[in-house]
Amino acid sequence: MIRVRMPQKKRELEVPGPRRVADILAAAGVRPTMVIVTRGKQLLTKDQRVEDGETIDILSVVSGG
Amino acid sequence: MKCKRCRKTEAAVDLPSHNSAFCPECFFLFFRRQVEEGIRKFRLLSAGDRVLVCVSGGKDSLVLWDILMELGYRTEGLHIDLGIDGYSDRSREKVLAYAAARGKEPIVVDLRSEGVPIPEAAKSARKEECAVCGTVKRYFFNRVAAEGGFTAVATGHNLDDEAARLLGNLLHWDEDHLSRQHPLLPEVEGGLVRKVKPLWRVSEMETAAYGFLKGIDYVTEECPMSEDATSLVYKEALSLIEEKMPGTRRKFYQGFLKNRDKNRDVLENSAPGVCVTCGAPTYAAVCSFCRLKERVTKTRGRS
Repeated sequence: MIRVRMPQKKRELEVPGPRRVADILAAAGVRPTMVIVTRGKQLLTKDQRVEDGETIDILSVVSGG
Repeated sequence: MKCKRCRKTEAAVDLPSHNSAFCPECFFLFFRRQVEEGIRKFRLLSAGDRVLVCVSGGKDSLVLWDILMELGYRTEGLHIDLGIDGYSDRSREKVLAYAAARGKEPIVVDLRSEGVPIPEAAKSARKEECAVCGTVKRYFFNRVAAEGGFTAVATGHNLDDEAARLLGNLLHWDEDHLSRQHPLLPEVEGGLVRKVKPLWRVSEMETAAYGFLKGIDYVTEECPMSEDATSLVYKEALSLIEEKMPGTRRKFYQGFLKNRDKNRDVLENSAPGVCVTCGAPTYAAVCSFCRLKERVTKTRGRS
């Protein structure tokens, strides 16, 4: 399983791998233009593949106010 | 996906709105060029400027400070501690840590000491926190810049911020705000320091990607006061359109700038008066900051 963390929303989920970032975002219900996706110190593009057992972070880039 | 510029390294940032994708090094070059072009297009800054960079601790303002230093501008940071329990402390820590690592010491204005912490001020004024926060920040940006002899105040507003604001202004046909929406608000005789938004060409996602790849440690949590901010609704709407039609957000804002310049003389010919209470430049008899402060004082007196 791929561990998907969304620290700002204090939410976490697991999705079966391997899977493309774009598909993970769709599964998490997140708009791709409003986030960046990271794996450790690496920034991932939406077409990159994430393997079973890996952990990624979805970070919102939207600031309000 | 390979980087579309160097064609050697794996891309780290995909930019559908530019029909492109870049590796980290090529993305830094792209980002830097976007900011340089944004500054050049409206002559936001010149080499002789002393720039006061307003830094909240979030990604946009720290990235702005970072790139302005990299571009060789003389900068100092200004942090306004909003007086929001927990969040403001963490934001301040990020700013101080970023500055210390670069041998800088930002100017800090603490709104608790100034008698207008945002949560209390908003309650007293019976206004939305974001509106009150904007009034207070603009007041101190200008005051600190004027007193410190800075020639420009720079804020980290990006393309998404400006497009969302434009959408809001258009939906409400707010002509006054529309006439003042621009990456450059020139210096006005009477005490208004030039205000610039050098990141107006780069998106929120690009700024976040730049900050992450540069290792800038910024506050990722959202301001707890901004949960219901209307700007978030406009951003979400524009995001939906952007996903279906990449590049629309940029065309929307840049098209506005192109057309609004026809009316620019209206703004440039309107000089402010002086606030009868504090002497700050204002278009009213008493400036909005002093009116807010009076409300806070009155509310305190009643309780």
